[in-house]
Amino acid sequence: MNSIIITRAGTHSTIQDFGRFQYQHLGVSPSGAMDQRIISGLQKIIPNHQNQFLEFAYVGPSIKVKEGSVKICVGGNCNMSIQKNNNTQLECQPYKSINLFEGDELIIHNTIDSVYGYIAFEHGLGLEPCLNSYSTDTKAGIGSINRPLNDEDIFNISKDVSSWDLISIPKPDLEKVTNFKVYPGPQLQYFSDNSLQSFISGVFTITNQSDRMGIRLKGESLISSESHDILSEGILPGSIQVPSDGQPIVLMRDIPCTGGYPKIAILNEVDISRISQLPPGTKITFDLQTIY
Amino acid sequence: MYFKGINSYGDRGLVLDFGNETSKSISQEVNDAFLNISNLNLQSLNIVPSFNKIVVIFENSHIRDQNKDKINIKMNETKSQSNKKVTKTWKIPACYDEDFALDIKIIQKLHKISKEEVINLHSSVNYYTYYIGFMPGFPYLGDVPSQLITPRLATPRVKIPARSIGIAKNHTCIYPKVSPGGWNIIGQIPFDIFDLQSPKPSLFLPGDEVKFFSISLPEFKKIKKYNFSLNDLIKEYSS
Repeated sequence: MNSIIITRAGTHSTIQDFGRFQYQHLGVSPSGAMDQRIISGLQKIIPNHQNQFLEFAYVGPSIKVKEGSVKICVGGNCNMSIQKNNNTQLECQPYKSINLFEGDELIIHNTIDSVYGYIAFEHGLGLEPCLNSYSTDTKAGIGSINRPLNDEDIFNISKDVSSWDLISIPKPDLEKVTNFKVYPGPQLQYFSDNSLQSFISGVFTITNQSDRMGIRLKGESLISSESHDILSEGILPGSIQVPSDGQPIVLMRDIPCTGGYPKIAILNEVDISRISQLPPGTKITFDLQTIY
Repeated sequence: MYFKGINSYGDRGLVLDFGNETSKSISQEVNDAFLNISNLNLQSLNIVPSFNKIVVIFENSHIRDQNKDKINIKMNETKSQSNKKVTKTWKIPACYDEDFALDIKIIQKLHKISKEEVINLHSSVNYYTYYIGFMPGFPYLGDVPSQLITPRLATPRVKIPARSIGIAKNHTCIYPKVSPGGWNIIGQIPFDIFDLQSPKPSLFLPGDEVKFFSISLPEFKKIKKYNFSLNDLIKEYSS
């Protein structure tokens, strides 16, 4: 038996995978990793990840091997080091596999000029799926672990490491994008030409009121000429909804399953991952594509 | 026939449009269409019905475009086909005891009726399950008799007890678990309606009929002790 203990949970650390689907009509959000590009990259290094990725934001977790040994890989742009059992410290890098032995502690200090990072574990974390997915939705209390991770959480990984060979991949292209191509939303026509002009030519700032549910933007007010209170309808991640204060919200992975605000536009799938990595204060612009 | 057509929702979604009105007959058409589209076993990620729309979500635009025609054909060939046989009719025990009926006085005061009248009215109607949303397993039921129509609380409650029955506008609901919310709470049911351990986790499905019957506090406590599974509940309380 191999086991690890969370010695410091970090902030917003949860278990995620590629998402929980086929349940949105029962009020269950798709959830899943905020930046899916990173967990796709990690699959190449740890193919047998069992879809049990640890997601963290800003401050990373510290993980100590309690028993046995584990093989892991970290993805994202982050500062980290390994405190070895014999008190020496090792530098380590994302996108290179790491072998950790009893007493070793991986310390992820923080993400650099980005928000989310991930850890893949060979053979996963010994978790059972919940509604066919390992993802956590903390607001709905759904997941293999239905809450953020805590200090002293322990995971048992019954299978032993398959090979100590070190594997690495070139750092995936996580180029910072701040201009987003968007497609028209279902209620685009609710917005006056003036508001559309503000949306296309204006600069919006990512605020710190942003989480896995949505990214709140601050900029020129966008006013719907019909209503800001529409009858609730199904929504999908990446939708940009505008409540009555005129400040847009980009809906992210833990979306409410139906929503009652008009949606001016929607991002494409890869841009949801891209925008998730922009820290508060980042200025962004939108480029509206013609009717798709 | 309320179906108006299919529109794009970004690069990977579709919206089936059933107009801008709401009514039970529109919702019946929406929920029939939902079942018909679900039975197509499309490569979709989610199919989400609401009062007068169905949103279908795909992984990418390529898959979306491949599946759009299949939906179109189905929508045109099933114009009058009903799935009534698939939906259930529920008789749900409800305890309107004052311990649970946190806001019943608001409704009494607004409509100048007695507590007994609120209970009799609320349990007199066969409600239609418009759709499930807001939180996992939360049924939007309606319509409540006109003497019970009540606006949301001015200040939403931070913590509504699990299994609470609420009224807001012309709808009634059951909160599957503890939640913040603005509905007027009038009672509680004695069992859970959402079970994460079940592959079909929600007791209610869009299109189901739900009627409440009033039970006393001792009866409520007795049923609560049984710890019913969803399958037990289906046998016991639905037809």
